[in-house]
Amino acid sequence: MLELFMYDFMQRSLLAAAMVGALCSLIGVFVVLRGLAFMGAGTAHAAFAGVALGYLMGWPPLLMAILFGLATVWITGWVEEKGRMKLDVSIGILYTATMALAILFIGLMKTYNAEIYGYLFGNVLAVTTEELGIITGLSVVVIGAIVLFSKELYFIAFDQEMAEASGVPARRIFFLLLTLIALTVVISLKTVGAILVFAMILIPASTAYQLTHSLSTLTWYSVLIGITCSVGGVLISSYWDIPSGPAIVLLATALFFIAVIFSPKRQRQSLAVT
Amino acid sequence: MSPPIIHFDHATFGFPGVVALEDISLEIQSGEFVGVIGPNGSGKTTLCRAVLGLMAPMRGHLRIFDCACDELRCHHRARIGYLPQKGVVDRNFPVTVLETVMMGRYGTLGLFARPSGKDRKIALDALAHVGMEGHRDGALGHLSGGQQQRVFIARALAQQPDVLLLDEPTTGLDITTQHNVIELVQHLHEELGLTVLLITHDINMIRSRVDRLVLLKTRLYAAGPPADVLKPEILSQVYGKDLVITDKDLVIVEDYHHHH
Repeated sequence: MLELFMYDFMQRSLLAAAMVGALCSLIGVFVVLRGLAFMGAGTAHAAFAGVALGYLMGWPPLLMAILFGLATVWITGWVEEKGRMKLDVSIGILYTATMALAILFIGLMKTYNAEIYGYLFGNVLAVTTEELGIITGLSVVVIGAIVLFSKELYFIAFDQEMAEASGVPARRIFFLLLTLIALTVVISLKTVGAILVFAMILIPASTAYQLTHSLSTLTWYSVLIGITCSVGGVLISSYWDIPSGPAIVLLATALFFIAVIFSPKRQRQSLAVT
Repeated sequence: MSPPIIHFDHATFGFPGVVALEDISLEIQSGEFVGVIGPNGSGKTTLCRAVLGLMAPMRGHLRIFDCACDELRCHHRARIGYLPQKGVVDRNFPVTVLETVMMGRYGTLGLFARPSGKDRKIALDALAHVGMEGHRDGALGHLSGGQQQRVFIARALAQQPDVLLLDEPTTGLDITTQHNVIELVQHLHEELGLTVLLITHDINMIRSRVDRLVLLKTRLYAAGPPADVLKPEILSQVYGKDLVITDKDLVIVEDYHHHH
């Protein structure tokens, strides 16, 4: 197995997996705590529609993905803030509408384009040096922003109104969080794919949620679990020659169920009941 | 006399089409302990949101500290320690007691600043003030309702506020715990010299402790020492006829409107 590490493509994909794993699991902490899980899933599909439009028109697909992703999170964030509509309704509509756009754009293409399906299902083993550069650059930006605004992000995740009342610019921080979610989805699109990216955001933080009562411990656990699952998934996928996206996500899911079964929180509850 | 710390000047608050508070004129002096009373839907929580600068007056003015705070987002917010109406704390939300109290420092610190050892010490002091220092590393969700209220009061204290603003702090607590929380608030008012604005349904609980009562029902019906406000002719305007005041110490406000 060790000879796998000798290949350039393997080093690239392990590095990409580690970065995407860290990034998704870090933003995932705030997504899970702030209750934005469904929003991320919608964003992933919107970003995919952006990729499809990019290929159709010959525009840069990643840039289109960012634009579509940002438009989706900002619209849903604005709708939530105004209280005009329940969040799950507005996301549900955007989610399906952008997916319909994606299918439309693909249908309008004269030829079959295999690259698009790479964005849908993800293939971390096919990451190029150039893509690794983009992933690194954007990861630094997103992780940097999270670290810089961590105290405000934790506060709005816990209680946004309270945060606002005590002088934190909560609205702007909320939209910053939405923006970071959209960027994270786009960064991860090529490696884990539009369908599975949300699992990478959701599962590590939810797993960590089972294991601790402290925000800071939760964050470290989540990132640790995220990196372990992505790197472990890539190794499994190349060793047994199975698709990388499902390998990563299924490994994370398995860990999640183990955490649920052995969760100290649940054991405490069952003790309290008896 | 120094200028009032909070000054409503013919201020009206509401949303388009709904007036929640109308033509309020009220001055609150530094160091006062003021109880705000009134029936459900009388605008008590709106008053809270106004003081926090979360709502600008539609008409009139509201000045807080020395700044004309007609506009939202004013730095004064960090100087007001706020205890929101008790929501349901998700018992599984992963946050420790100390992490909760540290959040009280975040608004005061401002963007980009990282909490230091000094902030940690302020948070621990705040916990000691409410008698919860022994639970600092415990999970917030594992505490009882009264203990959680103490932690949230500590979070407000960690802002090192001039004003403590409490919205129905005793709702959902048992009688003994209600008294403990109110006693804690009175103690903080006396020991730290905090201006306290306490919003409540429970007139009996606070009447002997506050300097002044403010009686609201969209309009301001009375503001003054409890003995001046708790009179049948004043209260009946707000609560309707089904109201009994017995002897000197007991006020019974019975809400009969469910039976009509």
